[in-house]
Amino acid sequence: MPLSAYLVVSAILFTIGIVGVLTRKNPLIIFMSIELMLNAVNLSFVAFSKFLDTADGQIFVFLILTVAAAEVVVGLALIVSIFRTRRSIDVDEMNMLRG
Amino acid sequence: MIPEQILFFVLAVASIASAIGVITFKNAVYSALSLILTLLFLAMFYLLLGAMFIAVVQILIYAGAIMVLFLFVVTMLAPESPVEERDRLAWQRIAAGLLAVVLVGSLSYLIFSGNNQAILLNPGANSLHHIVQTQGDIQAFGLALFHGFLFPFEITSLLIIVAILGALVFGRRA
Repeated sequence: MPLSAYLVVSAILFTIGIVGVLTRKNPLIIFMSIELMLNAVNLSFVAFSKFLDTADGQIFVFLILTVAAAEVVVGLALIVSIFRTRRSIDVDEMNMLRG
Repeated sequence: MIPEQILFFVLAVASIASAIGVITFKNAVYSALSLILTLLFLAMFYLLLGAMFIAVVQILIYAGAIMVLFLFVVTMLAPESPVEERDRLAWQRIAAGLLAVVLVGSLSYLIFSGNNQAILLNPGANSLHHIVQTQGDIQAFGLALFHGFLFPFEITSLLIIVAILGALVFGRRA
Protein backbone atom coordinates (compact mmCIF):
# COMPACT_ATOMS: atom_id res chain seq x y z
CA MET A 1 0.00 0.00 0.00
CA PRO A 2 1.32 3.46 -0.73
CA LEU A 3 2.34 5.81 2.02
CA SER A 4 -0.69 8.07 1.42
CA ALA A 5 -3.08 5.31 2.44
CA TYR A 6 -1.49 4.98 5.88
CA LEU A 7 -1.40 8.75 6.28
CA VAL A 8 -5.08 9.08 5.41
CA VAL A 9 -6.00 6.45 8.02
CA SER A 10 -3.84 8.34 10.51
CA ALA A 11 -5.58 11.61 9.61
CA ILE A 12 -9.02 10.05 10.06
CA LEU A 13 -8.11 8.63 13.47
CA PHE A 14 -6.63 11.97 14.49
CA THR A 15 -9.81 13.79 13.48
CA ILE A 16 -11.96 11.31 15.38
CA GLY A 17 -9.79 12.03 18.43
CA ILE A 18 -10.27 15.78 17.97
CA VAL A 19 -14.05 15.40 17.73
CA GLY A 20 -13.99 13.31 20.90
CA VAL A 21 -12.00 15.91 22.81
CA LEU A 22 -14.26 18.75 21.76
CA THR A 23 -17.61 16.98 22.10
CA ARG A 24 -17.61 14.81 25.20
CA LYS A 25 -18.17 15.97 28.75
CA ASN A 26 -16.62 13.14 30.69
CA PRO A 27 -12.93 13.99 31.21
CA LEU A 28 -11.96 10.33 31.07
CA ILE A 29 -13.36 10.03 27.56
CA ILE A 30 -11.62 13.29 26.64
CA PHE A 31 -8.41 11.73 27.87
CA MET A 32 -9.04 8.61 25.83
CA SER A 33 -9.55 10.75 22.74
CA ILE A 34 -6.19 12.40 23.39
CA GLU A 35 -4.63 8.94 23.54
CA LEU A 36 -6.34 8.16 20.23
CA MET A 37 -4.73 11.24 18.70
CA LEU A 38 -1.32 10.16 19.98
CA ASN A 39 -1.82 6.73 18.45
CA ALA A 40 -2.82 8.23 15.11
CA VAL A 41 0.46 10.14 15.06
CA ASN A 42 2.29 6.94 16.03
CA LEU A 43 0.82 5.25 12.97
CA SER A 44 2.05 8.01 10.67
CA PHE A 45 5.50 7.86 12.27
CA VAL A 46 5.78 4.11 11.70
CA ALA A 47 4.51 4.48 8.12
CA PHE A 48 7.18 7.09 7.41
CA SER A 49 9.78 4.88 9.04
CA LYS A 50 8.92 2.09 6.62
CA PHE A 51 8.85 4.30 3.55
CA LEU A 52 11.97 6.32 4.28
CA ASP A 53 13.83 3.11 5.14
CA THR A 54 15.03 4.29 8.52
CA ALA A 55 14.43 3.22 12.10
CA ASP A 56 14.10 6.78 13.41
CA GLY A 57 10.31 6.75 13.12
CA GLN A 58 10.07 3.71 15.36
CA ILE A 59 12.36 5.36 17.92
CA PHE A 60 10.05 8.37 17.97
CA VAL A 61 7.07 6.10 18.54
CA PHE A 62 8.92 4.52 21.45
CA LEU A 63 9.52 7.95 23.01
CA ILE A 64 5.94 9.06 22.35
CA LEU A 65 4.75 5.91 24.11
CA THR A 66 6.82 6.78 27.15
CA VAL A 67 5.55 10.35 27.21
CA ALA A 68 1.97 9.13 26.83
CA ALA A 69 2.37 6.80 29.79
CA ALA A 70 3.73 9.59 31.97
CA GLU A 71 0.96 11.93 30.85
CA VAL A 72 -1.75 9.38 31.60
CA VAL A 73 -0.37 8.86 35.11
CA VAL A 74 -0.37 12.54 35.95
CA GLY A 75 -3.69 13.26 34.22
CA LEU A 76 -5.56 10.45 35.93
CA ALA A 77 -4.15 11.45 39.32
CA LEU A 78 -5.44 14.96 38.62
CA ILE A 79 -8.92 13.70 37.65
CA VAL A 80 -9.13 11.51 40.74
CA SER A 81 -8.16 14.40 43.03
CA ILE A 82 -10.75 16.64 41.36
CA PHE A 83 -13.36 13.93 41.90
CA ARG A 84 -12.40 13.71 45.56
CA THR A 85 -13.11 17.38 46.22
CA ARG A 86 -15.98 17.96 43.83
CA ARG A 87 -17.72 14.53 43.72
CA SER A 88 -18.37 15.21 40.05
CA ILE A 89 -16.19 15.04 36.94
CA ASP A 90 -18.37 16.96 34.54
CA VAL A 91 -16.05 19.32 32.68
CA ASP A 92 -18.84 21.83 32.18
CA GLU A 93 -18.93 22.32 35.95
CA MET A 94 -15.18 22.91 36.29
CA ASN A 95 -15.37 26.64 35.90
CA MET A 96 -13.51 27.94 38.94
CA LEU A 97 -9.77 28.30 39.24
CA ARG A 98 -9.82 27.40 42.94
CA GLY A 99 -11.63 24.82 44.94
CA MET B 1 -1.70 -15.73 1.96
CA ILE B 2 -3.98 -12.78 2.44
CA PRO B 3 -3.00 -10.01 0.02
CA GLU B 4 -1.66 -6.98 1.74
CA GLN B 5 -4.33 -4.68 0.29
CA ILE B 6 -7.22 -6.67 1.72
CA LEU B 7 -5.54 -6.87 5.09
CA PHE B 8 -4.85 -3.14 5.09
CA PHE B 9 -8.43 -2.30 4.13
CA VAL B 10 -9.94 -4.58 6.78
CA LEU B 11 -7.64 -3.18 9.47
CA ALA B 12 -8.36 0.41 8.40
CA VAL B 13 -12.14 -0.05 8.54
CA ALA B 14 -11.93 -1.91 11.86
CA SER B 15 -9.68 0.63 13.55
CA ILE B 16 -11.79 3.58 12.36
CA ALA B 17 -14.97 1.83 13.52
CA SER B 18 -13.57 1.16 16.98
CA ALA B 19 -12.23 4.74 17.16
CA ILE B 20 -15.73 6.02 16.43
CA GLY B 21 -16.89 3.71 19.18
CA VAL B 22 -14.48 5.39 21.61
CA ILE B 23 -16.08 8.80 21.14
CA THR B 24 -19.66 7.55 20.80
CA PHE B 25 -20.42 5.23 23.69
CA LYS B 26 -22.23 6.75 26.63
CA ASN B 27 -20.70 4.28 29.04
CA ALA B 28 -17.06 5.12 29.78
CA VAL B 29 -16.13 1.45 30.24
CA TYR B 30 -17.33 0.68 26.71
CA SER B 31 -15.22 3.58 25.45
CA ALA B 32 -12.15 2.20 27.21
CA LEU B 33 -12.73 -1.26 25.74
CA SER B 34 -13.16 0.28 22.29
CA LEU B 35 -9.88 2.10 22.74
CA ILE B 36 -8.16 -1.17 23.65
CA LEU B 37 -9.56 -2.67 20.46
CA THR B 38 -8.29 0.30 18.45
CA LEU B 39 -4.84 -0.11 19.99
CA LEU B 40 -4.78 -3.77 19.05
CA PHE B 41 -5.73 -2.98 15.45
CA LEU B 42 -3.00 -0.37 15.35
CA ALA B 43 -0.53 -2.96 16.62
CA MET B 44 -1.51 -5.11 13.65
CA PHE B 45 -0.84 -2.10 11.42
CA TYR B 46 2.64 -1.87 12.89
CA LEU B 47 3.22 -5.55 12.16
CA LEU B 48 2.12 -4.91 8.58
CA LEU B 49 4.65 -2.07 8.38
CA GLY B 50 7.48 -4.20 9.72
CA ALA B 51 7.81 -2.53 13.10
CA MET B 52 7.82 -5.70 15.17
CA PHE B 53 9.21 -4.27 18.39
CA ILE B 54 6.81 -1.34 18.37
CA ALA B 55 3.83 -3.65 17.80
CA VAL B 56 4.67 -5.77 20.82
CA VAL B 57 5.50 -2.74 22.97
CA GLN B 58 2.18 -1.19 21.99
CA ILE B 59 0.28 -4.24 23.19
CA LEU B 60 2.33 -4.60 26.36
CA ILE B 61 2.49 -0.97 27.44
CA TYR B 62 -0.42 0.84 25.83
CA ALA B 63 -3.11 -1.82 25.84
CA GLY B 64 -1.68 -3.70 28.79
CA ALA B 65 -0.65 -1.03 31.27
CA ILE B 66 -2.03 2.37 30.31
CA MET B 67 -5.52 1.15 29.46
CA VAL B 68 -5.67 -0.99 32.61
CA LEU B 69 -4.90 2.17 34.57
CA PHE B 70 -7.68 3.91 32.67
CA LEU B 71 -10.11 1.13 33.50
CA PHE B 72 -9.20 1.30 37.16
CA VAL B 73 -10.02 5.00 37.26
CA VAL B 74 -13.14 4.64 35.10
CA THR B 75 -14.65 2.00 37.34
CA MET B 76 -13.65 3.97 40.45
CA LEU B 77 -15.29 7.14 39.15
CA ALA B 78 -18.40 5.42 37.85
CA PRO B 79 -21.32 7.81 38.02
CA GLU B 80 -24.15 6.75 40.28
CA SER B 81 -26.77 7.93 37.84
CA PRO B 82 -26.32 7.82 34.06
CA VAL B 83 -24.82 11.11 32.99
CA GLU B 84 -27.09 13.04 30.67
CA GLU B 85 -24.93 14.74 28.09
CA ARG B 86 -26.80 17.94 27.38
CA ASP B 87 -25.22 20.18 24.81
CA ARG B 88 -25.37 23.94 25.11
CA LEU B 89 -26.26 24.19 21.43
CA ALA B 90 -28.61 21.65 19.97
CA TRP B 91 -26.78 21.42 16.62
CA GLN B 92 -23.35 21.02 18.21
CA ARG B 93 -22.90 17.35 17.29
CA ILE B 94 -23.85 17.89 13.65
CA ALA B 95 -21.51 20.86 13.35
CA ALA B 96 -18.71 18.81 14.91
CA GLY B 97 -19.27 16.03 12.40
CA LEU B 98 -19.27 18.42 9.45
CA LEU B 99 -16.13 20.17 10.63
CA ALA B 100 -14.47 16.79 11.13
CA VAL B 101 -15.28 15.86 7.54
CA VAL B 102 -13.83 19.19 6.39
CA LEU B 103 -10.64 18.52 8.38
CA VAL B 104 -10.23 15.00 7.00
CA GLY B 105 -10.86 16.30 3.49
CA SER B 106 -8.23 19.02 3.75
CA LEU B 107 -5.68 16.66 5.30
CA SER B 108 -6.32 14.09 2.58
CA TYR B 109 -5.90 16.74 -0.09
CA LEU B 110 -2.56 17.72 1.38
CA ILE B 111 -1.50 14.09 1.66
CA PHE B 112 -2.36 13.26 -1.93
CA SER B 113 -0.94 16.45 -3.39
CA GLY B 114 2.56 15.97 -2.02
CA ASN B 115 5.25 14.51 -4.24
CA ASN B 116 5.97 10.85 -3.70
CA GLN B 117 9.74 10.99 -3.96
CA ALA B 118 11.21 9.47 -0.85
CA ILE B 119 14.48 11.04 0.26
CA LEU B 120 16.15 8.07 1.83
CA LEU B 121 18.01 9.16 4.93
CA ASN B 122 20.27 6.13 5.28
CA PRO B 123 21.22 4.90 1.85
CA GLY B 124 22.89 1.62 1.15
CA ALA B 125 24.21 -0.50 3.97
CA ASN B 126 22.71 1.66 6.71
CA SER B 127 19.15 1.44 5.44
CA LEU B 128 16.61 -0.22 7.66
CA HIS B 129 15.71 -3.12 5.40
CA HIS B 130 19.37 -3.98 4.95
CA ILE B 131 20.00 -4.09 8.71
CA VAL B 132 16.79 -6.05 9.21
CA GLN B 133 17.87 -8.61 6.60
CA THR B 134 21.40 -9.00 7.93
CA GLN B 135 20.92 -8.63 11.65
CA GLY B 136 17.23 -8.73 12.56
CA ASP B 137 14.33 -6.50 13.56
CA ILE B 138 15.17 -5.96 17.21
CA GLN B 139 18.84 -5.44 16.38
CA ALA B 140 17.88 -2.73 13.90
CA PHE B 141 15.74 -0.97 16.48
CA GLY B 142 18.37 -1.34 19.19
CA LEU B 143 21.17 -0.05 16.98
CA ALA B 144 19.16 3.04 16.10
CA LEU B 145 18.08 3.62 19.69
CA PHE B 146 21.45 3.27 21.37
CA HIS B 147 23.59 4.82 18.67
CA GLY B 148 21.53 7.82 17.63
CA PHE B 149 19.03 8.36 20.42
CA LEU B 150 20.90 7.44 23.57
CA PHE B 151 20.41 10.79 25.28
CA PRO B 152 16.62 10.94 24.81
CA PHE B 153 16.42 7.35 26.01
CA GLU B 154 18.21 8.24 29.23
CA ILE B 155 16.14 11.37 29.70
CA THR B 156 12.92 9.34 29.61
CA SER B 157 13.94 7.89 32.95
CA LEU B 158 13.91 11.43 34.33
CA LEU B 159 10.50 11.94 32.75
CA ILE B 160 9.15 8.84 34.45
CA ILE B 161 10.47 9.99 37.83
CA VAL B 162 8.77 13.34 37.35
CA ALA B 163 5.51 11.58 36.47
CA ILE B 164 5.72 9.41 39.58
CA LEU B 165 6.33 12.47 41.73
CA GLY B 166 3.37 14.20 40.12
CA ALA B 167 1.12 11.23 40.82
CA LEU B 168 2.28 11.13 44.44
CA VAL B 169 1.65 14.84 44.93
CA PHE B 170 -1.80 14.72 43.37
CA GLY B 171 -2.70 11.53 45.16
CA ARG B 172 -2.13 12.84 48.62
CA ARG B 173 -5.15 13.29 50.85
CA ALA B 174 -5.52 17.05 51.18
